[in-house]
Amino acid sequence: MSVTAEPRPVGVDLQENEENRALVEAIEADNDDLNIRHMPGMIRLTKTGRLVINQASVEARLGRPWETHEFQMAIISYFGEFVEWDDDQIVIAWNH
Amino acid sequence: MTVPAQKPARKLSMKQRYTALTHDLDWTPTYVAEDAIFPFTKFEGIKVHDWNKWEDPFRLTVEAYNKYQAEKDRRLYAVLDGFAQSQGQLGLTEARYMNAMKIFMQGIPIHEYDAHRMFSNCARYLNGPGARFAALCQSMDELRHAQTEIHTLSHYNKYFDGMHDWHKWSDRVWYLSVPKSFFEDAMTAGPFEWLIAIGFSFEYLLTNLLFVPFMSGAAFNGDLPTMTFGFSAQSDESRHMTLGLEAIKFMLEQDEDNLPIVQAWLDKWFWRGYRLISLVAGMMDYMLPKRVMSWKEAFELYFEEQMLNGLFKDLEYYGIKPPRDVQWAIDEKEILSHQVYWILYQYSHAAAFQTTIPDAEDQAWLMESYPETWPVFKATVWDRAQKVVDSGGRYFNPGLPQLCTVCQIPMGFTEPGDPLTQCQRQSVYEGERYDFCSDGCQTIFDNEPVKYRQSWLPVHQIFQGNCGGPTLPDVAAWYGLQPGDGGEYLGSPDNLNWLAWHGQAAKEG
Amino acid sequence: MAVVAIAEYDFPSRSAAELYGDDQLVHVWWNGNVFFVSAQTFRFPKAMPFGALVNEVLKGFYTADPDFVPESLDSAKWKIDHVAVTPDMGASLEANGVGHKSLVEFSL
Repeated sequence: MSVTAEPRPVGVDLQENEENRALVEAIEADNDDLNIRHMPGMIRLTKTGRLVINQASVEARLGRPWETHEFQMAIISYFGEFVEWDDDQIVIAWNH
Repeated sequence: MTVPAQKPARKLSMKQRYTALTHDLDWTPTYVAEDAIFPFTKFEGIKVHDWNKWEDPFRLTVEAYNKYQAEKDRRLYAVLDGFAQSQGQLGLTEARYMNAMKIFMQGIPIHEYDAHRMFSNCARYLNGPGARFAALCQSMDELRHAQTEIHTLSHYNKYFDGMHDWHKWSDRVWYLSVPKSFFEDAMTAGPFEWLIAIGFSFEYLLTNLLFVPFMSGAAFNGDLPTMTFGFSAQSDESRHMTLGLEAIKFMLEQDEDNLPIVQAWLDKWFWRGYRLISLVAGMMDYMLPKRVMSWKEAFELYFEEQMLNGLFKDLEYYGIKPPRDVQWAIDEKEILSHQVYWILYQYSHAAAFQTTIPDAEDQAWLMESYPETWPVFKATVWDRAQKVVDSGGRYFNPGLPQLCTVCQIPMGFTEPGDPLTQCQRQSVYEGERYDFCSDGCQTIFDNEPVKYRQSWLPVHQIFQGNCGGPTLPDVAAWYGLQPGDGGEYLGSPDNLNWLAWHGQAAKEG
Repeated sequence: MAVVAIAEYDFPSRSAAELYGDDQLVHVWWNGNVFFVSAQTFRFPKAMPFGALVNEVLKGFYTADPDFVPESLDSAKWKIDHVAVTPDMGASLEANGVGHKSLVEFSL
């Protein structure tokens, strides 16, 4: 059965701390229509369709080297799937 | 914003490094048949044609894994040290909050260790190198979780009851047979069922309903160590969610014949997992002096919205349907926490945590969160429990409850639409009667009766004389409970110590 | 349905009747009073008279509920394993049809 569902929310919950400020700013800058919700100790970022984290964008704001593996230190939970995770980019979306 | 200097290009990309250091380390032995090396991956009927199709988006290598996990541990232990040195336990909202963490301590670390063992098994016995490496990482994660939970909560063990013998209690005490039987059920299944049961159903579908209440509850109630542990573990959990999702997709994509097997496991394990975390529902609505959200709200957000309306739309592509008994769970969201806590309240004299009647502030919150159902519970049970207290007593159930053969919880759940009639289901198999709390549990039994008739039901074991003796003191001694571990919170050592530490007098009455 | 397993899979019940000798487990359910959050499980001799269950066990047991009136059990409506019955108070549980893990249900 092949059904392409309409675009649905994807998102990521990040630890809300000093270190992740640059990460959040980068995600905000690189994703249109991003919803941001603050909960105790964490920040939830959601949008419809695709959520993108760009290595260069984060590193430029952080002011020190940052590899995409380091995203693991920030993440609490997510919904959607990691459809891409390379040196330059992480993408969360639904496959179907 | 300055542009940093160009870094020298890596010799290999992330994808290439991952492949070189995991998949490319595998080989096909010529000296022994594949089935002899991997004897457990055929018997469940799951068909796999190409193990190399197993994908791991995190693309970790041993080097990256160790680097980041070590950093997570460093950060966590720094927080634990700081909390201990600054006597952080005095900053909790109130000592009765600790009962939530007692349940956590008793019900979880030992089963993190179970998960560590079974993922270790998968790290050896799954045919594909990608799957094996992902399982190996998860196995180490689960061991880390067991260790960090024990270390995190060990500080509280110095100041509060109900934590000192969690390992022994996990094996013996009645309500802890609920998580124990759940994990042992999954561990004694085959590797593919394990991956759907724990990897997918528990770690993806239901995980947020377990962790967010505890961790946000910790944040709201001054429990910095638990909150920090929670966030530390959750970053591992995102990898676990990914493994679980990959497991189900891999099975569904490898062969269409796998669909009915996977659907049946999904139906079974959603229900078993849902019943297991009903203990969390009772905890979050009744044991947190400062609450985050109600069970009903958490269920709506983390399950109905994110899973049913998100994930299952994705899985529809493969022909997967939402779990068979999901509507029963949705119907229960207004009443689940009340029924569970009412079970815990009347049996906490035989437990390693304490309970108490919700105070005025609690009741106001319950009214606001459950305007339709709270008044029913207040009128039928809580006002009467208060009556007993007002006349100088305290209601504890004088007997032992009827237990569900599958979930092992006292059968306090009710018929859909009728919160005052407990659900009774029975099956007869080879001349013996078995009891169930719901259609969901009954179906699980009926599909595999020879498995579930082996349930070690605490009440039945007590009556067989296997739990120390016939009286409550005998059983409590066999459990290893000490005065102060269970019973009523008000007037307990935890309560009185708390007041003394803060220079306050005990409440009258 | 058989359990899918790597070898023959047949293991006995951990709560089979034989494990209780001349006794059996009996679930007693007050249908209509959730103050007792679930039915209660007891271990009784099979030969115990039904009347003893009512007068010597249940009339005392349910006083844990402050609103319970023991005499109300004298006019209770009974079911055994979901079938309405008028129990013979002088006969044993077994003779009344109460078997191992039977559900003895009453409403007031």
